[in-house]
Amino acid sequence: MTSLRLQNLKKRFGSTEVIRGVDLAIEDGEFVVFVGPSGCGKSTLLRMISGLEDITEGELYIGDRLINDVQAAQRGVAMVFQSYALYPHLTVKQNMGFGLKVRKVPAEEAERRVMEAAASLKLEALLHRYPRELSGGQRQRVAIGRAIVGHPQVFLFDEPLSNLDAELRVHMRAEIAALHKKLGNTMVYVTHDQIEAMTLADKIVVLRDGVIEQVGTPRELYERPDNLFVAQFIGSPRMNVLLAASVERQLATRGLKIGSAHGIGMRPEHLSVVDAGAGILRGTVMISEYTGAATLLHIELESGETVLVIHNGQNTPRIDDAIGLAIDPENLHFFDGKGEAIRPLQRAA
Amino acid sequence: MADTLTNHVSARGLRAPRFSLRQREAIEAWLFVSPTVVGFLLFFLGPLVAVVYFSLTEWNLLTQQSTFVGIDNYVDALSRNPDFWHVLRNSFVFALGLVPLNMSLALMLALALSRPFRGVVFFRTIFFAPVVTSAVAWAIVWKFLLQGEAGAVNQLLAVVGIDGPNWLREPDWAMVAVIVTRVIKMVGLNMILYIAALQAIPRDYEAAARLEGASNWQIFRMVIWPLLAPTTLVIFVITMIGSFKVFDHIYLMTGGGPENGTLVLAFYIYEQGFKFFNVGYASALAMIMFVIVLALTVVQMILRRRDMQ
Repeated sequence: MTSLRLQNLKKRFGSTEVIRGVDLAIEDGEFVVFVGPSGCGKSTLLRMISGLEDITEGELYIGDRLINDVQAAQRGVAMVFQSYALYPHLTVKQNMGFGLKVRKVPAEEAERRVMEAAASLKLEALLHRYPRELSGGQRQRVAIGRAIVGHPQVFLFDEPLSNLDAELRVHMRAEIAALHKKLGNTMVYVTHDQIEAMTLADKIVVLRDGVIEQVGTPRELYERPDNLFVAQFIGSPRMNVLLAASVERQLATRGLKIGSAHGIGMRPEHLSVVDAGAGILRGTVMISEYTGAATLLHIELESGETVLVIHNGQNTPRIDDAIGLAIDPENLHFFDGKGEAIRPLQRAA
Repeated sequence: MADTLTNHVSARGLRAPRFSLRQREAIEAWLFVSPTVVGFLLFFLGPLVAVVYFSLTEWNLLTQQSTFVGIDNYVDALSRNPDFWHVLRNSFVFALGLVPLNMSLALMLALALSRPFRGVVFFRTIFFAPVVTSAVAWAIVWKFLLQGEAGAVNQLLAVVGIDGPNWLREPDWAMVAVIVTRVIKMVGLNMILYIAALQAIPRDYEAAARLEGASNWQIFRMVIWPLLAPTTLVIFVITMIGSFKVFDHIYLMTGGGPENGTLVLAFYIYEQGFKFFNVGYASALAMIMFVIVLALTVVQMILRRRDMQ
């Protein structure tokens, strides 16, 4: 049983509170991703789980065991660092077997476990090389291998793909997903890259300034963000948010009332280009960015606001063309003056 | 276009430059390095060649008489003069006493002072200050502190019931006293080198090792110490060379005594050259010392190269 429970977890460095009361439940075998902008506390939270940072306040359980005061090595967790943290003076094999050696696991058993992990990560041919002789992707695999050999209950990943180039990142992302499927362990993964979060996670935890903004599946976060911050953080390009007042009239003509909404959110991929005069918005194409699969249009609206549109179809409008924009009302997001989402039920009320 | 250019050049009366770009760069490069090269030739290579020549002569500074004697001075030092081996032994005892003590103390201080905590700069300054203190002042002060019964060191020892020896008057203790005072003076330099090396080791290594269950000692022995190896090698060699060249401490604290108990090579060379005016013999001794230090440096370079591979 390797579920995790974080209860009102707080962390202070001197007088600065970086984690300000986090409550979270992570189920056995779940792949949870902490995501948020730089400085939001996601890495600190991960290090608190690992035991590398003390817990200032609150309670942390692995299974039913309170582990606030349990030493890092006794928590049954393994961590993969952003820097890989491979010891440069040891070979791949020695790096992978380091933890077993310090724990005095019998040599034969250690050898077997290292070879097993090496085989599963296709590292056999590299076992006698030093980290400096490996590529970034290979180093990352060794770091994962080192985590595997300890047979941890929980894997912690601290931005493990940040140092890789874009192509390799996609490849390693798939490898980590495959590893989770194969091992079935509980995994907690920190990233600032929302694509990584969306593709890997069973559950995403969005953090800002040391507090959780929302917890949910990738689909929930994308389709039903709790607030403006999550709405704009999840999804790329970010969601357009318009002042409700500026589109009130157009929405009313289609029988939609904005109620108490202060802002209206529309994802660029949900807007479609129609003839000028049709749709709910009217504007002029200012910039057109062709990306191959689609064209990214920057549209200046009559209200003076700018929206982004991902245009997939043919007949791409040209710069300075006057166009209309349509959207399925189901895909509109309503936010109140504080940036909190207004759900349809609330709106009806 | 070419015509226009030719006309333009001839109109301005320009000729082909006297030096090619490559030559000009070479001249500039030599001008930049010339101060160092001149200094090296005048103050290092010149004297070195002179010492090699002097070492092959019997030259009395007082009578100004110089006779070419071949390798006689070397044969004298290595086979006829028992003083030389005694002095060499003292130099090795000094080095073998000082180097491990200095290095282990420097490492311990660096480990304690490499992490930030309140007052860390104060402590680093305290331990580094002796390095930049005048060696003369340092030696004279310690000479007073280490006096027999009146010395502050023995008075402190008396407080805890220890009857301290007359440090600088007993051959064995004199060597110990000189080594220890020299270590206290110079340990700060190695401490700073170790602190720099420790701070260059990424913190993630320690975190990873701790997560894998390594104790503090295991982290030090299996991660930190191997990563400090290049620094340790450099520190070892410079400390070893420094200990062979020690002169000021000996000159000011013991004068080589008592009973030649602290008579080390550099001081012996000084005595032979400037006290007894045997410049030829002193030069031969200086060459022997040069070879020993050179050998240590070569060993260091070989070990470093192997380490880098």
